[in-house]
Amino acid sequence: MDRRGFVKICAGSAALALGGLGREVLAGDYETFPPARLTDRQGNPLKAGAIPAGEAMVFSYPLAGVPCFLVNLGERPASAGIALKNDEGGYTWTGGVGPGGRIVAFVAICTHQLSYPQPEISYLRYAAAGSEIAGGPGKIVCCAHASVFDPAAGAQVVSGPATMPLLPVRLAHDASTDELAADGIMGMAFIQRFFKTYRADLNRRYGPGGYRREVGKATACVPLSQYSGIVPAC
Amino acid sequence: MSESNSRRNFLKMGGAVAVAGTAGGMAVLSGHATAASARKSAGGGRTMANLPKARGPRLVIVGGGTAGLTIAKYARKEYPKFDVVLVEKRDMYSSCFSSNLWYSGIIDLEFLADHSFLDAARNNGYVYFNATVTGLDRASRTLVTSEGDIRYDFLVVAPGISYDYEKIGVKDAETMTALRQTFPGGFISPTEHVTIRRKVQEFEGGVFVQTVPGGNYRCLPGPYERACMIASVIKKNRIKGKVVVLDANPDITIKKDGFHAAFDELYKGIIEYKPSSAVTGVDVGKKVIKTEFDTVSFDDAAIYSNIRASTLIEQLGLMDPKSPQKEAAIDQLRYSIRGDDRVFVAGDSRPHPYSKSANTANTEGKYVAKVLAARAQGKEFAWYSPRTICYSMVNANPMEAISVDAGYVLNKEGTAVSGFSPDTKTFENRDAAKGQATLEWARGIYRDMFDA
Repeated sequence: MDRRGFVKICAGSAALALGGLGREVLAGDYETFPPARLTDRQGNPLKAGAIPAGEAMVFSYPLAGVPCFLVNLGERPASAGIALKNDEGGYTWTGGVGPGGRIVAFVAICTHQLSYPQPEISYLRYAAAGSEIAGGPGKIVCCAHASVFDPAAGAQVVSGPATMPLLPVRLAHDASTDELAADGIMGMAFIQRFFKTYRADLNRRYGPGGYRREVGKATACVPLSQYSGIVPAC
Repeated sequence: MSESNSRRNFLKMGGAVAVAGTAGGMAVLSGHATAASARKSAGGGRTMANLPKARGPRLVIVGGGTAGLTIAKYARKEYPKFDVVLVEKRDMYSSCFSSNLWYSGIIDLEFLADHSFLDAARNNGYVYFNATVTGLDRASRTLVTSEGDIRYDFLVVAPGISYDYEKIGVKDAETMTALRQTFPGGFISPTEHVTIRRKVQEFEGGVFVQTVPGGNYRCLPGPYERACMIASVIKKNRIKGKVVVLDANPDITIKKDGFHAAFDELYKGIIEYKPSSAVTGVDVGKKVIKTEFDTVSFDDAAIYSNIRASTLIEQLGLMDPKSPQKEAAIDQLRYSIRGDDRVFVAGDSRPHPYSKSANTANTEGKYVAKVLAARAQGKEFAWYSPRTICYSMVNANPMEAISVDAGYVLNKEGTAVSGFSPDTKTFENRDAAKGQATLEWARGIYRDMFDA
């Protein structure tokens, strides 16, 4: 199925659900974008209960070229109400959504030197079981310079050279259907910097300017191990 | 030189006269000013560089390596009023870091060199000025370059290193020049990397010597990594040859377990490691290296001599006469020349016992930028440690690497850096993940230096 066909089909089913999505997370600092329902690769709504706890899933939001991680924290529930800071100022991270608040999402671009998941390789991953540089289970690690982020605590920096958390993505969860949507992101200035840095790569991958297109009413989530050919276990 | 001396006359008379007319205390290498980009008399018959008028305190940075590029970018982030000019003699960037990976074919030259000074300057709001520094007049805060003089409010000199061939028993200019051209160390300039790559590709057998100097040389694991990369080519192409590593040190200087394991397990019979083998002389014509107890004949070699701070540090009068590696006379915490709050030295000409690695210079550069911003506003900035995260590829087929993540601490008095911090870790089990990380480590630093 080509991309256009995929979006068309998803849009139809997403429209039904959007009105009913109960918002569980509210924070003042998100830039609101049209909500996009999270789906699997086939375009079926992704249920929170079906999200694997062993690795992150990758989806694009709010623009085609912005990679995000969807993480099921499993046995390490999120702490809510954490005061964090990035280049654009302070904000409060309000925690996860879904049963037990286990589902969280962040922009999958290392805030240190902008490593991100690419089809060929991802230097950034959710190391559910821990790793050499993670210092414990359940962290998001960047191979490039060993920055470690805690997704259960707003992806704040645990160790390494990064100086700000991964950018948060706001999720909404519909308890009646167990479906999810993304509907906000923080830090578009950082995203613009990312686009500027990788413009040549992104044009090659998405077609000229294609990375700036809004994802539309649905966005597919793909396990990182399927999204990227190589995922080094740093 | 009289006031009426015209610019034309000045140019005609050339550099020698210009030198004579400069203020006392000025160190000048050569006074040549080219007409193309120099303009208007600066008095005393000198010409000013063709640069826009400074819009704020002018910060001039000499050297577009890792330290200089990082400081140029981050100084403006820390203090947007800075008007930054980066003076670099090269017109084409190519990194020294990661160059070993080219020898085994893991990367191509584009990986090292597809990074433009012009883009770095444009993306980060400073001026890249392609010129060679020839002198410095600290009394009038003037930097002299091949393209004219530049007045500065603050000056950072980050020229890197030079080889110190005398320390390996090579004292005459003939041998030194022959050595530099025929068996370059490959730890300074891109043209050396091109030569070494050709050597590796042309190697048909016999002995390839890689020497490791003593002292705090640039890139501690670099020579061992290079031995591994050359050995991987020998192994892959089944060449009847070996790499002989002549190490001035009693053992491998960093990540030694990881390197020893690679030497023993991957390159048995291909890498011959000889510790405590400081080079005491080289016969370039006969291809013979002398060490204290031994004489080694070779077919080809990369002879890495001891290093020192760039000769520019000495020539500009910024050298600490007591420094064994001729490093700069700066306060280790404040980075400025003792007695001159306007002139700073950073990067591998620094006197700190830091590992001379790209990641050190990159993280240190951000600290120096904060120091400069503070000083421009009449403040001080408290010291914090740079970080040396550094990967070494030990296998090319498949890619496997080891790594270190080091910090530093001050002495008890808090005046100088005394050693590694307690949280320093090494990761010496070679694996594919670190092999991949080695590439992204470099790309991250390129992005940090060249992109916005």
